[in-house]
This record gives sequence, structure tokens and C-alpha cells, in this order.
Amino acid sequence: MTKRSLWRLIFTTLICGACAYFFVPLSKVRLGLDLKGGVHFELEVQGQEALEADLRDTRDRLLDRLHEKGFPEAVARLEGLTLKASGVPAERQAEAQKVLGTFSGYDTVFSGDTLVMTQKSGYQKSLKDDANKRAQQIIENRINQFGVAEPEITPTGAEGNRIVVELPGVGDAERERIKGLLTTPGRLEQRLVAKQDTTNGIGWRTREEAMAHFAGQLPPGTELLPQPLSEREARREGKAFQTPAAGQSEPIRSWVLVEEKVYVDGADITKADPTVNPQTDQYEISYVLNKKGADDFYNLSGIASEENRRIAVVLDRKVVSVLWCKEKIPGGAVRITGQFSKEEADDFALKLKSGAMRASMKFLEERAMGPSLGADSIASGIRGALIGFLTVIGFMVFYYRWSGVNAVVALTVNIIVMLGLMGSFHAVITLPGIAGFALTVGMAVDANILIFERIREELANGKSVSGAIQTGFDRVFWTIVDSHVTQLVSAILLFIFGTGPVKGFAVTLTVGVTASLFTSIYISRFIYDWILERHPGAKSLSI
Amino acid sequence: MKYSKVALVISWGIIVACLLWIHPWKGADAHVKLGMQFTGGIDMMVAFKGNVHQEDVRNALYAGGVQQAGVVAYQDKPGVAMFSIKVKARKGQDEKDSSTQIKQITAALRSLDAKAASDHRLDLNTESVGAIVDTWMKANPLGIQGDETALRLAYEPYVDKVIKAREKASPMSDYNQLPSDLPGALRASLEKDYRLGNLTILKNESFSPSISGEWTWKTLSAVGWALVAILVYVLFRFTLSFSVGGIVALVHDVLMALGLFVLFGFEFSVPVVASFLILIGYSMADTIVVFDRIRENSHKPEYRRVDITKLVDDSINQTLSRTILTSMSVLFVALCLFIWGGHALRDLAFPLVVGVLTGTYSSIFIASPVVVFLDHQFGGKEKLKQHA
Repeated sequence: MTKRSLWRLIFTTLICGACAYFFVPLSKVRLGLDLKGGVHFELEVQGQEALEADLRDTRDRLLDRLHEKGFPEAVARLEGLTLKASGVPAERQAEAQKVLGTFSGYDTVFSGDTLVMTQKSGYQKSLKDDANKRAQQIIENRINQFGVAEPEITPTGAEGNRIVVELPGVGDAERERIKGLLTTPGRLEQRLVAKQDTTNGIGWRTREEAMAHFAGQLPPGTELLPQPLSEREARREGKAFQTPAAGQSEPIRSWVLVEEKVYVDGADITKADPTVNPQTDQYEISYVLNKKGADDFYNLSGIASEENRRIAVVLDRKVVSVLWCKEKIPGGAVRITGQFSKEEADDFALKLKSGAMRASMKFLEERAMGPSLGADSIASGIRGALIGFLTVIGFMVFYYRWSGVNAVVALTVNIIVMLGLMGSFHAVITLPGIAGFALTVGMAVDANILIFERIREELANGKSVSGAIQTGFDRVFWTIVDSHVTQLVSAILLFIFGTGPVKGFAVTLTVGVTASLFTSIYISRFIYDWILERHPGAKSLSI
Repeated sequence: MKYSKVALVISWGIIVACLLWIHPWKGADAHVKLGMQFTGGIDMMVAFKGNVHQEDVRNALYAGGVQQAGVVAYQDKPGVAMFSIKVKARKGQDEKDSSTQIKQITAALRSLDAKAASDHRLDLNTESVGAIVDTWMKANPLGIQGDETALRLAYEPYVDKVIKAREKASPMSDYNQLPSDLPGALRASLEKDYRLGNLTILKNESFSPSISGEWTWKTLSAVGWALVAILVYVLFRFTLSFSVGGIVALVHDVLMALGLFVLFGFEFSVPVVASFLILIGYSMADTIVVFDRIRENSHKPEYRRVDITKLVDDSINQTLSRTILTSMSVLFVALCLFIWGGHALRDLAFPLVVGVLTGTYSSIFIASPVVVFLDHQFGGKEKLKQHA
């Protein structure tokens, strides 16, 4: 063996070894969700809600400020994305505008006797960006605490308002629960139940009934919020829990009239845990508020106990629990009792702990893949690919004899290099990926066939064996490059435009084409050179 | 070259016939089956153990209030009936509706479980990991001492085993299918608190209508850009007439495969479009080999004085054996995937099978004749030789 061949052999072996390092043992190969099973969500942050939430906050602060500054008559309400304040005497408008001017990010104008405030566009953008960032962070927190192994949470979308969540190993059974965990903002508020409804228990059975009670016009500064009936509760009360039909919303236990003003905000929660009350044996949630929250709660409980009113605990604009309060409570340690199941209490605490999102999420896409389907797909996919591969090998050896064996060696190296390349950049194998894999093998033979046919042609033209091999490879070089580049182009475009499983397909193809270039031009040539070296004056070639 | 006119007429005839049958201009009434990714909706795959027929599933869904579901039966494993259930999203539907729809569908399917009506225990085949852990933590059949965390740590490994066994059996029909190394107490507890339903949900996907429009656009633009990129590359490496010839052949292949794909009633999904892109790449690679030979021959002295038709004819003949051999090897693989790759790969392999056949045919009978035609019309062979 000459020095050159030796070096080439060492080089080839090194490459194969390096590639093998990335996929041996086979458990290093990452499988896509379609093969492994799991859930995939694509969510969109509803930025609009962040804007609305900010407006509501501003409304509360604005009213406080106006009342402080001596405008006791001031009333504020929301109309779409504008905030309108009225009740300011015409002669003191300039004074009121000064107060309004302290709210940065808002444009303020007078229209008749009302003050109209709108968000500036730059401010809206920063609110939305902030909502996106927070949403991602909170989803990460919630997923991590939920205890899913190897979750993947990646932001996507042109405006950065989309989040892709992939949770391997999670099945359809957990899907609804995780969905609920991801989709709800987890915005906790404590408000006072409005004074008017003391005659009527906690609330009304339907919204219509409540509206009828107030003759279609709710008292100013109040709103009606639903208190949903949980599945658990329904079972406990011995009622059949009916899954709502399409278009219908979940069952409501009652509608509660609460004040618009938020006394305690969930942002002030420092710690939250589900607990079991040893006396009633029921699940509860206890949480601790920071200094500001504790002060707010002290105030709230003061008002509630003095006026003998109830406190509504509102999570994401739904009443979770309505509490009596007998005395002022200092210290900021709060316990919410309610008819919670263990899972509900866990999730509730998780939401409070991870903080509130600025906006809720919309599900654009959700997929849950059972692992058994994946296993079946892998089995049949690999079976199909393997049969295809063996057919090709058999055909090559049958048709080209020993040169066919050369092609088989090149193909095998091709597969090793492909797997290695994929392993090295942690590519994920998906079902279309398996197809792509098999296909590239079929196409990689193309290069070998091109070369062999050319060598045959040259031999037929009366060239010597070494001459035929030489010209065969040289002539075909650019053809191979051209045909590979066009395939590479479509594979790369697939990668750019595709998502999910298609990306896996694209990766396999890109890698396969690259590997095929290397093996057909370098490895096959090397094998021929080696053979020629051992039999320098060969008169015939098995082709 | 003799047959090129006949070939042109026949193949474009087939394409036009397919287009006429599909009538894509009729919008929603077109004979195209679009996957849920493009229309928005729910795409589920479920398996029943035992004797459940397609009609049963349809009736149950209908009774459960899901009227517009498409149900297709598969039979992959003996004793297990698999169904694909597809519900297209209505206009203006949001994700809340799809959530309730999924619940409705699952409830309807559960009603096919004969034992469910008389047995109110939880279903071991569908309950979540968390539910099983909770059951054991509450009953504590192994009598573990310690707090909640200790209990959880003790029982979780066993739950994993149960879940693995369940996946393997999918669905379990006998408690004997539980892992054999499961402690007897745990097994007894499962037998007491759970029943074995005959339903497993293999796949459950839903796509909001708002994202599906995006998908369609994204996919179409991918195909468009691929065509443009290949055109530019061939333009750069060859001449304009080759480029046009290549693109005509390419469009021909894509249309042909599309037409046949729809004609045979396959459904478009994102992976299928991906395989169409592969087809584009393959068909072009095949054509380029012929082009390359034409270019190489055009430099040879013996072709200096002859008509381009002979040049092209000879080049095609010289590469013919290679074209056939390569196509056969790819065709073998595509066919194997189609036949043995399972039904998930079938939709994907079909365009490839058709694509390989038409790709081979088009590089001989479509692409080169277009080059000859263009050259006769606009160039003259001198020009071709200069640039090639």
C-alpha cells in the first residue's frame, strides 16, 4: 500500500469513526414527537388583552388619583381601547389634565366634558413585547414545575408573539390539563362583592336574571363575573356533569356582581402552595403577599369586615371563591378555601407561583401523539426503508458485479456519515425523515451509476482500465455537482419554509445530499485506486 | 425526438384532463382533499380492541352531536380496529370550540365501550399518569412511610412501567398484560379501582383556522421559490433555453404528480407537499444529467456541423441506460416505502413513485424537445454551443 492510499484510508476511517461517535449508542439519536409521542402546542399571545389589562390598571389608578386631588365626582369607564373620564367640572379641566399628564404612554384630549385617554403606539408595542416575554417566561416556569422531562419552549412568529411548546412523553390524557395551565393568564385579583346583592345570596343563576334585576343597567363601578361550576363540584353535589356541546360555554354556578376596583393584585404574591385543611379535609390554597400586597389586603379586609361585605377572589375574570371576613387581617398570609380537587389546587397554586401573564394565549395548533402510534410508525417506516435499501444493494451487486460492491461500500459510508452529521447537530428524526433517509440512499446510488456507466462507455471506446476510471470520474464530476446542487436547493428551501416534521425531512435530505457528494466522488474513487494499485496492469474491470 | 410531439400531446392531455376533473377554480367544491393543517380542524386517530366497525363509529359520533366527521377505517394489527376521524373547522371557529368538540368526540367514542355503562371505575387505558399516582398515593397499597414526596417517589417508577405496558398493548384488554414484576398489592389495587376500556387515542391534533391560511401560503411560496432558485442555477450553469426546458419539464412533473395524487384520492398534508419539493429536486437532477451530456457533446468536433436534433438525440441515447438504472433504484425505494412503510408514509411515497416515473419520462420527452424547439426558434446552434 502506498503512502497516499494509507493516508486516504486513515482519513476515511477517522471520518467514519467521528461520525459513529455521534450516533453510537443509538439512544443518542433524537426522535421527533411524531415518533416518540408527546404534545406539541403552538400558541399566540393575545397582545390586545395586555393593552386592555393596562387600561384597567390605569383606570383604577386614575380614579384614585382624581379622588385624591379633589374630584370626588369623577367617574371613569372603558370603551374599547379608550379610557373616558367624566365628572370633572369644566372650569377645573386644566387642573385635571395635569393629573392625567402624569400617566406616561397616554395621549390625553378633551372631548366636551369628558377626558379621553388613548395609548401611544410606541407604548402599545412595548406593552405587547413585555406580554410576549412574560408569557414565555411564565410558560417555562409552569412547565418546569409541572415536571415534564426535556420540554422545549421556543418563541417564533414574525412579531415574536408565538410560542412553540413541545413536551415529549406527555400523552393525550394530560393534554387538557396542560392546556389549561398554559392558556390562562393566572391573574389573581381580590375585589369586594358589590353591596347591592346581599338580598340574593351570592349571585344569580344566569346573566339574564342578573341583568333583569338591574333593569339592564349595572350600577356604576361594578361588573358581573361568572363563578364556574367545576366537574368535581358537580359530582360532589350529585349532579351529572355534562360536557358542554360545541358553541356552548362551560357550566356556570352563579353570576356575581363585584366592584370593578382591584384591591389586591396577584403580582404581589411571593409564595403559593396547595394545602389540605385538616378539619374539613379539603384542598385549599395558601399564599403569602409582599409588603405592598399585605397593606392592600389589610385595607381590603378592613373595609369588608366593617361593612360586613364579602371578598371575591377572581382568577382570570372568573370568581374562584367568595370569602367572609370578620376582622382586619394583617401580615399578608391568605388562604383561599373552595371546592377544589387536588389537581385544581395544584394548578391554581402553580399559576399563582409562576406569576401572571399579561395576556391569555390562543392555541393555533395542538397535537398529541400517542407513543404506540410512533412505535408502529418507526417499525413500518424502518421496514420499508430497509427493504428498499436491500433491493438497491442487491440490484447494484447483480448488475455491476464487483464494482457494485464498491457502490455498496460507498453507500454504507454514506449512511454512517449521514447519521453522524445528523447526530452532530442534534437533528431530530421524524417520520418523513425516515422516508427522506431511504430516498437519499436511492438517490445516492445515482452518482455511482453515473460513474459506472461512464467507465463502461470509456472501456467500450477501448480505453485502458486505469484510463477509463480516470476519465469516467473526471467527466462525471460536474454532472454530479450540478445534480446534487439542485437537490440541495430544494432541500434548503424546505428547511427555510417548512416547520416541524418537514424540517426533519429537509435536514435528512440536505445531509444526505452532502454525504452522497463526498462518498461518490471520494470513497468510490479511493476504492478503485486501491484496487488498481494492487493490480497495476489489470486488463479488465468487473463492472 | 421523433416521438416528442406525440409525447407532448399525451402528457399535457393527461394533465389537462386531471385539472378538468379536479376543477380547482371552484374553490371549496374542488375535488381536492386538503389535510387539516390547511383547512383547520381536528384530526384524530383512535384504536379499539374488539369488534368495532366503521358504521358504529359514525353512528356514535352522529349521536354524540358530531355530524360532519369523516371516518376512515384502517386495519394494521389483527384484533385492533383503527380509525381516523377528521372534522373540518367551521369558519370563525375558535380554539374553545375545538376543545369542546374534542371532548364531544371522545365522549361519543367512549360510548362504544360496552362495559362503560355498567362500570363506573376509571379507565386504565386512558387515565393520565397523574391519576394513577394519585390513586396509589391515596390507597398506599405498599404501605410506604413518609410524606407526600416520599410516596410520589415510591410509586412513580411503577406507574411508568404500567404506562409502558399499556403502550405496548394499546389498549390493554386483560390485567395479565400488566408488567409481571409489578408488586401484587399494586396490581390488586389497579384491578379494584380501574376497568379496562377498549379505546386508545393514538393521535389527537387540532389546527386553528387562522394558522391554516398561513400554512398554505408558506407551503406554496416554498414551492415557488424552489422553482425560481432552480431556474437561476440552471441559467447560471447552462443557457436560457436549457433553463426554460428544465422548468417546463419540472412544471409538467409537478402537475402530473399533483393530478394523479388527487385523482387517486390522497390527501394533502404538509409532509406531502414536502415530498413534492423533493420530486422537484429529483426531477431536475435527472434532467440536468441529460443537459450535461448535451453540453459536453456540443463541444465535440463531430457535432459541429450537424443539426441540434441529432446532438440531443445522441446525448439522450448515451445517457439512457443511466437514466433508466437510476430511476429504477429510486423507484424501488419509493415503492418499498409505499408498500411496506405503513399508512403514514403512504401519502408521502405516492408523489415520489409518480414523480420518479414522470421525472424520467419528462427529462427525455419534455425537457430536451423544449430546448431544441427554443433553439430552432430563437438561437441557432452556434449560440447554444457558445454558451453551453
